[in-house]
Parts: sequence; C-alpha cells; structure tokens
Amino acid sequence: MCCHPRVPLCLLLVGLMLLTGCFPSGESDQGGAAADNAAGGSDSGSDSQAATSATVDGTDDTTDDAAADTSETTDFVLGDLVEAFDPPPLDKLVADNQWRDMPVLDSVQLMRDRKAGEDPPPTVADVLGLRNTSPAINDKILAAMGQLADEKTAVDDQAEWRRHTSGDVKSTNPLLGSSVAEFDVSSLTGFGLFGFDWNFVPFASKDSVASWKSSENGLYDLVEMRQDLVWSDGTPITAHDIEFSFRVIMSSKVPVPAMRSGTDQLKAVVAYDDHTIVFFHQESLATNVWNINFGIIPKHVYASTIADDPTLAASEAHVSRDENPVVGGAYIMTKRERGQEIILERRESYYMFNGKQVRDKPYFETVRFRILQDPSTSLLALKRGDIEELQLTPEQWKSQTGDDEFYELNTKVYDLEWVYFYFGWNNRSPFFRDKRVRQAMSLAFDHKEMLEQHRFGMDEASTGVFHSTSRWAPPNPPAPYQQDLDKAEELLAAAGWEDSDGDGYLDNEVELDPDFDGNIDGKARIKFEFTILTSNRQDRIEICNLLRENLDSIGISCQVKPVEFTTLQQLSRDHKFHAMFAGWGTGADPDTSENLWTTKAIDAGRNYVCYSSTEIDALFEQGKRELDPEKRAKVYQQIHLKLWDDQPYTWLYFRNGYFGFNKSLRGYNFSPRGPYGYGPGQSTIFKAPAAQ
Amino acid sequence: MAMLALLYIGFLSLVAIFSPLIAGTKPIVCRYKGEVYFPCIEYYIRGWKYPIFLKDRFRNVFPKNLKKKDPDSWAIFPLVYQDPYRRVRKGEWEDRPGNQSGAEGRPSQLNLFGTYGTSGIDIFASMVHGTRIALLVGFVSTGIAAVIGITVGAIAGYLGGWVDMLLSRLIELVLCIPSLVLILALLVTIDRPSIWHMMAILGLTGWTSMARLTRAEFLKLRQSEFVIAARSIGAGRLRIMFRHILPNSLAPVMVPIAFGIAAAILIEAGLSLLGFGAPPPNPSWGTILNSGKTTIQAGYWWQIVFPGTAIFLTVLAYNLIGEGIQEATDPRLANPGN
Repeated sequence: MCCHPRVPLCLLLVGLMLLTGCFPSGESDQGGAAADNAAGGSDSGSDSQAATSATVDGTDDTTDDAAADTSETTDFVLGDLVEAFDPPPLDKLVADNQWRDMPVLDSVQLMRDRKAGEDPPPTVADVLGLRNTSPAINDKILAAMGQLADEKTAVDDQAEWRRHTSGDVKSTNPLLGSSVAEFDVSSLTGFGLFGFDWNFVPFASKDSVASWKSSENGLYDLVEMRQDLVWSDGTPITAHDIEFSFRVIMSSKVPVPAMRSGTDQLKAVVAYDDHTIVFFHQESLATNVWNINFGIIPKHVYASTIADDPTLAASEAHVSRDENPVVGGAYIMTKRERGQEIILERRESYYMFNGKQVRDKPYFETVRFRILQDPSTSLLALKRGDIEELQLTPEQWKSQTGDDEFYELNTKVYDLEWVYFYFGWNNRSPFFRDKRVRQAMSLAFDHKEMLEQHRFGMDEASTGVFHSTSRWAPPNPPAPYQQDLDKAEELLAAAGWEDSDGDGYLDNEVELDPDFDGNIDGKARIKFEFTILTSNRQDRIEICNLLRENLDSIGISCQVKPVEFTTLQQLSRDHKFHAMFAGWGTGADPDTSENLWTTKAIDAGRNYVCYSSTEIDALFEQGKRELDPEKRAKVYQQIHLKLWDDQPYTWLYFRNGYFGFNKSLRGYNFSPRGPYGYGPGQSTIFKAPAAQ
Repeated sequence: MAMLALLYIGFLSLVAIFSPLIAGTKPIVCRYKGEVYFPCIEYYIRGWKYPIFLKDRFRNVFPKNLKKKDPDSWAIFPLVYQDPYRRVRKGEWEDRPGNQSGAEGRPSQLNLFGTYGTSGIDIFASMVHGTRIALLVGFVSTGIAAVIGITVGAIAGYLGGWVDMLLSRLIELVLCIPSLVLILALLVTIDRPSIWHMMAILGLTGWTSMARLTRAEFLKLRQSEFVIAARSIGAGRLRIMFRHILPNSLAPVMVPIAFGIAAAILIEAGLSLLGFGAPPPNPSWGTILNSGKTTIQAGYWWQIVFPGTAIFLTVLAYNLIGEGIQEATDPRLANPGN
C-alpha cells in the first residue's frame, strides 16, 4: 500500500484541516511536519515506529485493505504470512555464528555528549529577551534553549505540558497509527526496543534493551531485553510480546500493510525465553536494522481477542481497549475527549521497579494535547498560553509573531527540516513523457520569485531527493534550477513543441496512450494545455499560480485545480493527473524513498508520477544489499543525480520547521525530522519552575 | 432607493464591460512592426492570444518589450498598469517598483487598494476584473433559473391535472438538492471546472421559487376572460401560455429574480471564501476575502474592507431593486393609504 512502512515518508499534500471539511487557511503544515515525527522515538517513548511511515493528512491507507481482508470468509490465522520456520536451538545458533555488539545507547546521554562538544551557549535569560529576527539570533536561541537539564538545573517535575496537535487520534493502538496526532501520542506512550538519533544512526534503547548482537553474516539479530520492564497493568513486558506483535503484523487479516512493509523482510522473530529474542532475516540487507523495528502490543491483552476481530478496532473489547490502552511507554493515556484533547499522565511503573528507580523519570507529570485545526486559532491559543508549543506557518512566523503580545509568553525558533515540496510530472501524460519537457518546466519556473515572495526568503531551494547535508546526497550537489525561459523554449522546441497553428500556444504531434488519455489511440496533434492539482490551500495555490503565469508566458496553458485532500490522494494514487504539487518528508533510511521511484512502486507504492527507470530500480536493489556505508552512500548519490537529471519532479524548496515555544520550556533540539521525530527528541524537553 | 441601486448596478456593468481598459498590463491597442493589435482581448477570452508576441518572446510583458523590439511601436495602456492574475514585477515599466506584499502591500499610489496574497497581486485590478465574475454569476445563473422556472411553472399551472401533480413533485425534489454540495461534488469530477459550471449548477437548482410563483399566477389567470376568449377563437396552447398569460404574470416573478441574483453573488463569494469558488486565477471578490481571512491577525484590513464593501453594496443593490419591483407591482404596497 501507499503507506510505506519502512519509512517515515509522509505525504504533505494537505493540512489535516481539510479532512474534516474545514477550509484551509494559512499554512497548516503542522500536519505535515509533525507526521514525520511519527517515527520519533525517544528513549522514554516508543522507538518502535522508527521505521514507520505516516500519511500526514491522517487518511488511513489501511482502510481499503481492511475491507478487502475481511471480505474473505476464512478464519483468522495468527501470523499466516510467516513461512513455516523451525528455529534452531539458541546455544547452537550462538555457537555457530560470529557475533558483533551493536550499540545500546541512552539517547539523552548521546545528546548530552553532543552538547558538551559545542561552544558554551548564551544563558537562557539572555535569549528569552531576544527577538528572533536573524539567523544569528536564531542560532543563539537554539543553543541556549537546547541545553539539557543537569543536577544544577531547576526542573519543575510536577509540570503539565500543553501541546498542540492538529488532528484527532483515531486509534491509540501503536500498530494502527497513521496520522500525525497518533504518532505524537504513541511516541510518548508506546514501548520499543530501538531508536535512532538526529543523524539517523540506529541504536537499541538502553531503557529497554540490555544487549544487542548481530551475526557477522547479517542474518540474525539477538536482543537481550531488560528484566525490569512492565506494562501499565503490571504485567512484565517480555520477548513473547515482541514475537506476538510480529505475528500480528504478519497476519493477512490484520489491516496494517504499512507496518508490514519492512517487517515482511524478516523470516521470523523467536522468543527463546522471557528476555531473549532473535530476529531472523531472509537475507543480509542494509535495511535489516530498520526492519526489526516495529510496533509492539501486549500479548496478554490481545491474544484472546484478536481472533474475533482481526481489524483490532471493531469489536467491543477492542473499542474499549482503545479508550483505555495498556501501554509500555513513559506515559499513559488517562483521558480522551474526541476532537478536544488527549491527556497523558506519567507512569510510575515505567521508571520505578520494585521500589527502585531504574530509568530516568520523565520530566512532565502530564502531557495534554489540545486539538486545534485552524492555524489562526492555534496561534491565538499559543499567545494566550493555552498551548505551549506550536508549529508556525512561515506567514505567521513572518508577520504575526513579532510583537510584544507573542513574546510576552513565547519565543520562537526555526531549523532546517528535510521536507521538500515539488511539482510532480506524470510520466504517463503525453506532455511529460519527454525528459526535455520536464527539464523545460523546471527552467520555466521562477524559483527566485517563489523563494523570495512565497517562502519569504527563509526556505532553502531543494536540489533533489536528499538534502545536501545528508550523507546520501552527492558531495557536489547539482545547482538549483534558475529560471531561463529562452532555454526552456529551446528544450521544448527540441522536443517538438512549437506553435504551429498560430493560436499563441504550443502544440505537438504526440502518441496518445489509451490507458491515460481515454479511448483515443494513436497519434494526434495536441495543444500544450494541462491541469495541475494541488491541495486547497491558499499558499500552495499561489505557488501553482506562479507556475501558471510562467508557463503562460511561453505559450503553455496551465490550469490550477485545487482539490480537497482525499480527492487529491485518490487521483494521485490512480495516476489520473498531468501534474501535481505536493511534498515529502524524510525517512530515516534512504531506502525508504524506494517506494517513490521504483517501477514496482507505481502500482504498489507512492510512485504517483509513474517514473520508471531500470537503472534506478537496480540501484535501489543494490543500495539495499550494500553493507559498506561508504559504498552504500555512493549508490544513493547516483540515484540522486540520476533523478535530478530526469526531473520527474521539479524540486522546489525544503520547508523549515518553524516553532513557537512557551518561555517556560527548555531542552528542545532539532533534527532533520523536526524537534520530536528522533531520539532523544521530546524526552529532553522540560519545564523550568515558574519564577516566584 | 431602487433607482439609486439601479444606477449602481449600471455603474458596475460599465466597470465589468470595460475592465481591461481600466486595469491591466496588456495594451488596449498597440502598433507593432506595422500591424495593429488589441492584446487586451485576452482579458475577455482567456487563452486568446496573438502568436506574434509568443514568437517574439514578449513573455506577457509589453511596455519594455514593445519599445525594445520595435522602436516605432506605440501602445495605449489601461488607466492602471496592474494585473489581476499576477504581481507586477520591478522593471516591467521604467522606474516602476514591483508590487509589495504583506504589510508593505498596503494601499498606495501604485496599488490603490493594496495587494493580497503572498506574491502581492493588486486588489484594485482584481476587483475591477472580478466585477465581471460577480455580475455574470448573478445574471447567468438567475437567467438559467428564470427560463427553467418560468417554463415549468407555466406548464404546470396551465395544464394542471396530472402534469401539475408531476411537476410540483419535481419542484419539491429539486428544492431538496443542496446546491453547495452539488457544486463541491462537481468541482471534483470535472477536469477543468470553470465559473460557468458553477453558474449552471446555481441556475439548475435555483429555479424552484420562480416556478412556484409562475404556477400560481397561471392557475389564477387561466380562468380569466381573456384566456377563455383566446381559447374560443382557436389559439394554441403555447400561444395562450406564452403570448397571453405569461406577460401578465411576469411581474411577481421579477421579485425572486432580483433576489436570486443577490443570492447567487453571495453564494459565489462564500464559495470563494471557502476556497471552492471561481477556479484560480480568476480574481473573484470572495477570493480576495479568503486571502484576507488568513492574515486578519496581522491587520491587513485592506484585504477585507474593499472586497467586503463591494460584495455588500452589490447584494444590497439587488435587494433594493427587488423590493422596488415588489412595490411597483403590488398595488397594496403602492398605495399604503388605502
């Protein structure tokens, strides 16, 4: 399905608000970026979704499958997608293989180490008096506010953190999560073995894992879990829960195709005793470290009820469980008011075991999510102090958060996020089959105007699938396209597009594709006239409008068609469009973008633009199998360059993460996936005690 | 009051008809390389272009290119050099700065009503060209509604019996269709939804009140002496209906027509405000309002006040006209003393 699990790619087609029928206003990218956080993972929370993707807009791709799956009448078989496998005895497995230790880390300590290496930051008091008006000041605020709490820091550990989320939580089950809000919540309440840091380096979390070994041949991962882990109902968390969760994900009747992708690369997951678990891989892949990272649910809760309701969401037992979940993370959901708020409380049994403290005590007593969809309302709430963090739209950043009213209670910071926006050209469309035409589109677009006017000069031009600071981008990234209408016209003329009938618009004789163009077959002379789809938000419409204006001046008629989010998703999945404007977030592993570019992803993934190249297909396969990090990076660099050359997208800009934080909050740091979507992420955030 | 309103609508109609002469970036008329052209026609008919300007790489910027590519050329430009579809850039016209956006886009000499949107499109130009949409939506959709409504009402009222029964049920059925939902659904299914589709839907769903009124009039008039007289000398049904009865029953129908126009304008503005109105880049008044709505906290009042006032006044004018007709045709209202 579209929701590729392997990766936290997310579809930034639209803000959540559209889903609920509200009108779009401002930039509700809250939805967007936050979705990336999905995979978050912090030591205290669940790292389990590290490799899971979210469609930002909350539309649940899994529903289709649910319907299809349940229509069959066969009985539920737990783990029917797992091939029969007879696990070797543990001692034999251990003795027969060479093992190497894998990192088991405390991500908070990791962050502490990173901070120790940086220049001494300005004091918090200093920066809270500053107005964030230049990159230099922004860096100062980031450095000061990113400081972690130590023994000397005053921390209010009875504090309540009032957070913002732009959509409601459909399900609290970590396997069913698909929207931003769900990942926001499950990263605090969920249990997981693994996580990754701000450089996307994977590790096992010290909070739940005692040791992690990988076999030298790359086929087995052996994990010893800690013995002081308990679910919120007091039952110990054991290796059997992991094995059970794996089998649930791998059951054809359980509608979690997103979670399944990646997990399906595993041959088996076997619990040898309560604390020893072995992951058996089918082959040695670079992505194996991500494949072992999936959502975990308590076996003792679901084992008896799953057969009656494999959807996990329909039966009475499951519905009431959803309201009252058994969790393994640092927080537990205590109250949920639909469409209003979700309240999480700190869980004592998470950090205390037999009367002793065994893990860091989470900083907040309560985390309260306020659900606010409209960006203007959300900003008002932030200014009033009703919420204490909010992702801002660039427009809000620029013109609505510079006054005393905002700075009275809040401060704001921004940092780069690897979320890029693009015009996608459907390779099946008679207009965009030719690479030269796609390049001409990129040349015709006024990138400078877009960056300066529409993105307020604050975002960075995108130069392809990987950000230039990522390991996977080529060392000399291609220069961003600049508008050059003459060159665009030359390329179009070379591809045969000329105004031959004197109507002021280009035309060409093209081969029509009955699949795409309807019943027409054969050759026809057609006018260069197409529609670009975008979600119904003013800022996005205006960027498409700029494209329209640019193309109009070289004799191409482009119509902008704003559509509602679900429609946009449907049309793009069916490949029924000529061009579209949308965005993608980043996955932790570059392999996650396989599902945007390979030929097989046209029908089974999110390759909406039907891009197909045997070279790219082969490179992705190679990248998956290449274990040497240096050589692997080279493979993805090649992919980057090849895609840039082919321009199946016109890459536009990377959208920064703009955030407003209440002045009482401290300890926030950014990753390419925003301030929450990595380890330690939100687990270092704390509140200073109120001044007396 | 009604006369004043009529004058206002007349004024708007003039603005609508001559909008490309009032504001635009394309010359009304120009002479280039020995030929005379009227590039402003593109504002009336979208997609209608002179190929020569594409060939000579004008890129839709006339002032500087005309002079550069043909020193002997001349052109008459609209009164205000601003475009309803795009922002005017720096250097298009000698020494003229580009449009600003945001707080800098407040009303000024160059942007009489300020600018809107992240790029900074001129509000005055958009409103002038938006007048065409506002008036068209009113006239066309109500026109469609009137034709259907009067025809159906006339047939139902004159023929009576089972035809009346059937048509009355049809009227009730159409009454139940929510036109807003229908428009939203249509926008999704049509590849290139245009303002005309919207007008058609508004017209196809909005004829019921007129049909009911016409039917009532026909029911009343078909028994009157002049109809019986006409029938007795052998006039056909159609002739009686449309030649004899209709002119006598039209007065009360005029009232819902005037109100219908006002309602259509409001619906279009509302849809645009929601982002589902006139498809971009059509500069409808509601679209400007929509942009003002998102930035209202920043205090860009000009994005709300100007288009809001225009919508308010126009709707008010139609309502006044409607009331005027009502007064003129209803004897009880005309002589309140009796």
